[in-house]
Amino acid sequence: MALADARAIHPALKVAHADLQGDERALIRLALWCQCFSPFTRPDFPDGVSLDITGCAHLFGGEAALVDTLATKLDGFGLTARLALAPTIGGAWALARHAPAEKLIVSRDALHMHMAPLPVCALRLEHNTVEAMEKLGLKHVGDLIGRPRAPLAARFGPFALRRLDEALGHEEESFHPLNPPLLHAAHCRFAEPVVTQEAIEIAIQRLACDLYVKLEKAGKGARRVELRLFRVDGWFEALPLATSTATRDAGHLAQLLGERLERITDRVGFGFEAASLTALTVENLAMRQDDLGDSPQSGRTGDIAPLLDRLVNRFGAQNVTRAAPHASFLPERASQAVPVLRKVSDHDWQAHLRHIQDGAAFARPLFLFPVPEPVTTLAGVPDGPPSRFEWRRVAHRVVRAEGPERIAPEWWRAPFGASRKTRDYFRIEDDAGRRFWLFRDGLYERDEEAPRWFLHGVFA
Amino acid sequence: MKQAVEVKPVQETFPPGAGPVQHTSGERAATTPSEKIGRVLEVLRGRIAPQERFASAPRPSLPLGLEVLDSALPGHGLKTGALHEVLPAGHGDFAAGIGFGICLLARLLRERPGKILWVVPNHMANREAALYPPGLAALGLDPNRMIQVEARKPIDVLWALEEGLSHAPLAAVAGLLPDKARAYDFAASRRLGLRAARHGVTALLMRDRHACAENTAAETRWSVSTLPSHTLYPGQAGPGAPHWRLQLLKCRQGLSRRLSQHWDVEWDHETLSFRLPAPLANRAADHAHWQRDASRRWAEAS
Repeated sequence: MALADARAIHPALKVAHADLQGDERALIRLALWCQCFSPFTRPDFPDGVSLDITGCAHLFGGEAALVDTLATKLDGFGLTARLALAPTIGGAWALARHAPAEKLIVSRDALHMHMAPLPVCALRLEHNTVEAMEKLGLKHVGDLIGRPRAPLAARFGPFALRRLDEALGHEEESFHPLNPPLLHAAHCRFAEPVVTQEAIEIAIQRLACDLYVKLEKAGKGARRVELRLFRVDGWFEALPLATSTATRDAGHLAQLLGERLERITDRVGFGFEAASLTALTVENLAMRQDDLGDSPQSGRTGDIAPLLDRLVNRFGAQNVTRAAPHASFLPERASQAVPVLRKVSDHDWQAHLRHIQDGAAFARPLFLFPVPEPVTTLAGVPDGPPSRFEWRRVAHRVVRAEGPERIAPEWWRAPFGASRKTRDYFRIEDDAGRRFWLFRDGLYERDEEAPRWFLHGVFA
Repeated sequence: MKQAVEVKPVQETFPPGAGPVQHTSGERAATTPSEKIGRVLEVLRGRIAPQERFASAPRPSLPLGLEVLDSALPGHGLKTGALHEVLPAGHGDFAAGIGFGICLLARLLRERPGKILWVVPNHMANREAALYPPGLAALGLDPNRMIQVEARKPIDVLWALEEGLSHAPLAAVAGLLPDKARAYDFAASRRLGLRAARHGVTALLMRDRHACAENTAAETRWSVSTLPSHTLYPGQAGPGAPHWRLQLLKCRQGLSRRLSQHWDVEWDHETLSFRLPAPLANRAADHAHWQRDASRRWAEAS
């Protein structure tokens, strides 16, 4: 049916373009996930996944239990799956797609019986071969079984017969599994469950050294690692860690992870029996000579990444920041804090400052309150600066004032609880020499009620 | 550690090869007694220093750009690789204290590569001590070179400062401690000072005014109060450059008579140096200043 016809029938039809490449990627991901059932899996494009479960079924309590587990998990993903377990690859392929049952386990003896009623397209043949067979009345696999082989081979080629033999198990078929992505990981198992923090720290150091060797061989450095501690009762604790630059320094990683151990001290239980350290995200890192001595003076200069990692590790990524200018005249938006883990280049703050304060010196305060604080004022003239004001219950007499510096709201932005009035900023010095940044929120002639005054910042 | 301190070994410290030259300079120096004593003290200090437990390399000192200030400090400037404290003199001088500290950091950053670590408890970072990067740039400090860390508690501030002090690539670490931070005592300040000396990173700690009476191992302790600014030209209505009164409350190896003294300085954000204000006729502000002083004196007397 053409799209136009379908729309004519149902105008509210939703249309989505087929994302074939995305489907392929998702299928590969699913095939990789299936490796929790068997080490040999592969995607069968466009709509299937094959698993070679030879020798794996007993781990899941038999073939039926394995199929049930897989069906439940796929159902949990929201996938509708048809599963078939057969002694041959071709047989499983055919039964999964064309058998009437959704879950099917077929033994070697029953394979012929189950294959016979299937259509010939279940044999993974080419399209015109299938058409030619159907024209001749060979509609089911059963019609081919037992027929003289020489005429069939002459008519449809040796390939069709080989597919039939593979499906029925008369001929071997090779299975090319998907290669899992290379994961840089180190594992260790303990003879006895470990409970104390010192023992875990020693294990972490050993894991970090193993990981260092693996990463160095591959020429990689880790940006994200995860430590997993497996408890004796089957639970595991995961400690993820992100670093500011790619690193494989064993001492550094061990130190960072050791500082995180405090978080799980109350969840040790009866101890951990195994641990693994995996580099989840890796980046290329060139070989570099290690320090010959460990005296502080000989350390590499200019590299503060280890320090930043430790600070981020302890205080969180949002609490270790660098400032970046933002193109806005509104004072609270003129700069923003960027976590140090995000890579940013240096900015030209002096140009930004010249732009926002328009040539004046000391026109921006040292402290800017995140929320402007209301003040009560006594202004001489409505448009002028106040002559007195009271802030936090302390009265200040204004000796000097400069302004107004008028900052209009950014009407093109949706305001987030911010006032959308024009602000007139004044730089004010009181009789003791303290300098403040006050603004009047709104203009006198435009608004009905008298505009209010706020204190937004303090100068040094 | 017991060492008989004598004046005689001074002669031994001259290298034997440079005999005549040393003699002439020595004779010339001996002409004034005070210079001679000064030289003797210098040599004795040099002999004692390596016998102290942490013989740190001599660090350069940071001149403040104002002769009267520098001459009051040993080494003709603020010692780098040491702990310094800045306190506001009164309740309303909080911003002045931080501003003076920022100016010191700006001056240090001009001399030295690297970044500074600014550590502040997060309840202060979100309220009264929310530093505004354009304001830092206005004072002359490049915000690119500042990394802000928001810690949870004062003890975390001290931890972050210590961590920063052991990283030599940093230029300085600066921390802000809230009122009555119990975690900061003599031992904590000594730890910071030793770490700073070992790695050559300068530490700057901003305190509140309640800390005046505390005994800490800081190298210097400054008290800063705000003064009315001077106008740059007649008829200027707005405030001028930051104008502070500095007082040196403590200075190790300093001269005691300097401690009672105070200096009124202005900050020049273009040359990144302190300067003496050049006042124009400004009666009203002077009057107000006199009034404030009088009221302060009255408050102290009562």
